[in-house]
Amino acid sequence: MVDALIISLQLALTTSLLLLLIALPLAYVLAFKSFRGRTALEVLVALPLVLPPTVLGYYVLLMIAPDSWLGSAWASVFDSSLAFSFSGMVLASLLYSLPFAVQPMQQAFRAVPKSWLELGKTRGMNIKQTLRHIILPVSKGGVLVAAALSFAHTMGEFGVVLMVGGSIPGETKVASIALFELVEMQQQQEAAQLALILLAVSFLMLSVVYSINRKPLVIGS
Amino acid sequence: MNHICITTKLGSLHLDVQAEFTHEVIVISGENGAGKTTLLRCLAGLEDCQGQLQIAGDVWLDSAAGFVKSTEQRNIGFVWSDAVLLPWLDAQANITLGVNHGDAAWFNQVCEALEVSPLLKRKPAMLSTGEAQRVSLARALYIKPSLLLLDEPFSAQAPDIRLRLRQALKDLQQTLDIPMLMVSHDTEDAKVLAQQHWRMREGKLMNSVTSTKVFATDARR
Repeated sequence: MVDALIISLQLALTTSLLLLLIALPLAYVLAFKSFRGRTALEVLVALPLVLPPTVLGYYVLLMIAPDSWLGSAWASVFDSSLAFSFSGMVLASLLYSLPFAVQPMQQAFRAVPKSWLELGKTRGMNIKQTLRHIILPVSKGGVLVAAALSFAHTMGEFGVVLMVGGSIPGETKVASIALFELVEMQQQQEAAQLALILLAVSFLMLSVVYSINRKPLVIGS
Repeated sequence: MNHICITTKLGSLHLDVQAEFTHEVIVISGENGAGKTTLLRCLAGLEDCQGQLQIAGDVWLDSAAGFVKSTEQRNIGFVWSDAVLLPWLDAQANITLGVNHGDAAWFNQVCEALEVSPLLKRKPAMLSTGEAQRVSLARALYIKPSLLLLDEPFSAQAPDIRLRLRQALKDLQQTLDIPMLMVSHDTEDAKVLAQQHWRMREGKLMNSVTSTKVFATDARR
């Protein structure tokens, strides 16, 4: 049970940190740029919200299978299989939790007053400088919400990680799968403990989200 | 010589402006919706427009050749009608925003002249509207711009300080030896500051004459 909890925490932490890096440029593009294919990109990002997790897991499995280009490239570099591995689960979790990271950031970026962005232009700032000096300081709340939601959502994954990770004890068996197996084996006491821990983590993360959302996004005024 | 020949359509406004000027102060007046702010925004590159723009010998826009210099590259000192200060930065950080290695002597000169030196450690929430407006003016001047574009920069100033600010602004503009276009509804601004006074109506310049001529005409009425 402890092993599964540690794997879950490692997976959630790795996923939410990586997602911050991946979601930032995506949220920037979706918040400020208009281009052909923008709607398609927005739909793709939001798709995991409605897609059955097993469907996503199935496609990720196809994508990382040893005979796929990604699977074979991974194997030639790291000499290991991406399928049924922790790295494979990270990849699946990144896709599964992507909208939970992108959407809060996108909304926070959209709330930045237009005149502040124009101010950045008149100061000769490039995109990186505008992000650093203007957009991110005022969007801190949105970024923290993105991290908290990604973490909580990854902790609660079941179908995707089961498909992609295969529930290998000590390697890919995460807490939510461990709970399912404990109930199946009628180990009620341990199941109750694990369920309570997962409930507490989710409650804590959502408390963070709601307390951030209550505060005004403009800092310092 | 600076040369403006631009057109743009924005909602019901059809802006069509041709003018030439040297490194002088031009005060622009006209009714609401006449296109004064839009003209400043076109010069700053914040609105799309067609035609030609040449400032200080540098081509900023040549639609026939498909050339547009971005706002980031124009080195504009822009003052919005509201101060547009970043609330999490103090006045000093707002003034130096985006400038890494500034001229300390020039910074002190600008701050002294515009009476913002005692305000430097204050955040925008602790500034009155008039003080915030002066900080915003100092920010525009601090970068030693190629062109100063001011949208009602004295609208929130008390009459006594407005008198001093006019002189201070004129001195700073002459030190920099740059053209300055200033939207104002205050006829005193035009009398004291302007070498040219442009009156706008429905997106067009109704005149482009020296202020002495304008006020000589006004006096005869």
